[in-house]
Amino acid sequence: MKALGDALPWAVTAWLFAVGMYGVVTSRHYVHLIGCMSVVQSSTYVLLLAAGFRWGAGAPIFYDHPPGTPSVDPVVQALVLTDIVVGAAVTALLLALALKLHRKRGTLDPDVLRPLRP
Amino acid sequence: MSDFLAGALPPLPVAVPLAVAGVLLLCNRLLPGRVPDIVALLTALFAAAASALLLRQAAAGPVTYWFGGWSPQQGQVIGIAFVIGQAGALLALFTAGLTGLALLFSWGFFAEVGTQFHAMMLVFMAAMIGFILTHDVFNMFVWFEAMSVTAFALTAYALNESALEGALTFTVTNGIGSFLMLGGIGLLYAPAGALDFGALETFVRGAPESAVVAASFCMIAAALLIKGAMVPLHFWLGDAHAVAPSPLSVLFSGIMVPLGLFGLMRLVWTVFLPAPVVQHLVHGLLLSLGAVTAFLGGLAALEQRHIKRLLAFSTVSHMGVLLMALALMTPAGVAGFLAYLVGHGMVKSALFIIAGILLARLGSVDAIVLRGRGKDLWPVGLACGVGGLLLGGLPVGVMDKGAGLIDAAATAGGASWLAAPLVLGTGLTGAAVLRVTGRVFAGLGSRPGSEQEAPHENEQEPQNRPLWLMLSPALVLLGAALVWSDGVRAVARAGAHGFLATAGLDALPVPLSDPPHPLVPWLSLGLTLLIAAYDLWRDRLPGRLASGIDWLSAPLFGVVTRLHSGIIGDYVAWITAGLALFAAVLGLS
Repeated sequence: MKALGDALPWAVTAWLFAVGMYGVVTSRHYVHLIGCMSVVQSSTYVLLLAAGFRWGAGAPIFYDHPPGTPSVDPVVQALVLTDIVVGAAVTALLLALALKLHRKRGTLDPDVLRPLRP
Repeated sequence: MSDFLAGALPPLPVAVPLAVAGVLLLCNRLLPGRVPDIVALLTALFAAAASALLLRQAAAGPVTYWFGGWSPQQGQVIGIAFVIGQAGALLALFTAGLTGLALLFSWGFFAEVGTQFHAMMLVFMAAMIGFILTHDVFNMFVWFEAMSVTAFALTAYALNESALEGALTFTVTNGIGSFLMLGGIGLLYAPAGALDFGALETFVRGAPESAVVAASFCMIAAALLIKGAMVPLHFWLGDAHAVAPSPLSVLFSGIMVPLGLFGLMRLVWTVFLPAPVVQHLVHGLLLSLGAVTAFLGGLAALEQRHIKRLLAFSTVSHMGVLLMALALMTPAGVAGFLAYLVGHGMVKSALFIIAGILLARLGSVDAIVLRGRGKDLWPVGLACGVGGLLLGGLPVGVMDKGAGLIDAAATAGGASWLAAPLVLGTGLTGAAVLRVTGRVFAGLGSRPGSEQEAPHENEQEPQNRPLWLMLSPALVLLGAALVWSDGVRAVARAGAHGFLATAGLDALPVPLSDPPHPLVPWLSLGLTLLIAAYDLWRDRLPGRLASGIDWLSAPLFGVVTRLHSGIIGDYVAWITAGLALFAAVLGLS
């Protein structure tokens, strides 16, 4: 059971990365594509949290525990927070670009929209 | 007092531009006229001066700065550090200087958006310098993201269709790169429990055969190679550089893209060196892919009529040369890498400035439309010709010294075949630029070849700047690239020594004594002149000869053109293929 629990987050990471990439490659609509980007990014959240997980350890908050109580790794949680902030910035920028593009071209199909095509 | 100042210096080239950027944003629309331009320029100059001081400090050994005083306790790293060797300080100086010149070139260019442009330029510069100086993988990722996101937003500045599409392609491909990098960092952190380069190196030394180390290296390397434009991860570059405002293209090609490779070189030498599988991957796969990149980039450059797109593909080709220097994995290769990076950055930035002048003055960067229309701008044409010759291997100046160092390092490292892709890449890109010069400024080349099938469009950039103001940064860069060649050898050697010292390898000698093969630059130059002359005077050739050559070259160019489809899904599929290639080579080794 513990072995399964150890392997599961890594499997989820690989799965999220793979389906997200598949979605980006095959997407026919930019908003869908941006959603797929978020799926790829979610794989990094799971990966980081799995990296810091310890069996039988609590949250890294020592308000009501004495310092030294086993806890999961707080560093990766800080990394995930940074990652989420970065992801929000990129997604917002992508959506803004897509919105502008839709106003100009009336479509968001990547096959129709190709930069600098004659 | 001076000791205190010297101790506080390392974070300043990053912290001060960031702070000024914040203040500029607060004062948006409050500052009159050219004040934001002046403030931004002075800030870039300050960063350059601080980097120059750091370069002097680093001569005595790498400068280490622990943020907030969180230095290691009982051998345990608990903080984040900048470790600045001569190579890092040199590149920081180059970044700040280039940003200053780009700001001078863009004087008044972005007046209508107030201070937003200046703030983003300063954040962009600060992020690049932070990326160069940092000694912590997650900190490196944060600077990588900061420089990427500002670059994405600045690419879309024109807000026309091409700019938006180019920026989307850029954002999606490089965004995937960021996720890969973060994933790689997470994989490495899980067993190592550390993010500091030194602590990670200790971990890798203890587990050199670990599969996790290899996988993590592949993911981080893929991210940096997307930024560093290695075939087949380079596809975003042509679309993004072509549509970005010219002052930005200057910084993209001059420093941002090469920094991807510099980051990789730093990680290879400072963290992953003890892992034999990584050495095998870099010295094997990346060396061959660098050769492919140098050649394919040159072919794609020759096949363009849009001048900025042409220069973008020439950057791809030269990144191939840099990647080969990196993949040699020898101290002499590091020295060649540094000299070539600086030399290429100077020449390519000057050429992008020239393309920007054409956009502002003639309202196009289409070489075929502009044929003969640049005759009144003859000083620009002269500069363009010099740039083309330098790119094409003219045996004077910084770039030639860099190429010579790389060639000599390759011969010493038992990879003398490396001269072939070097000559081909240099010749093809130099010829492409000389063809533009002849066509636009001399009215030659009335019968275009297959490049007329390439994408092009009509565009314009603000005309509010005098010619001398736009041209002077290009002349400064070209002048430096021509004259500074004796200095750069010493700097590259010192830089390589400092670079290895930041990796804790200060005992390694940096031999620069082997002379480069004397024929290599002349072969490049000969190829450059031959191809350019063929393209410019093909109307004088017997028809049968020209069509014969076309018949032979058409399939090659056709494949290159079809590969660059402009469809985002294709580009991401190529990234996946590149990852699969890495995995396959790892599995076989």
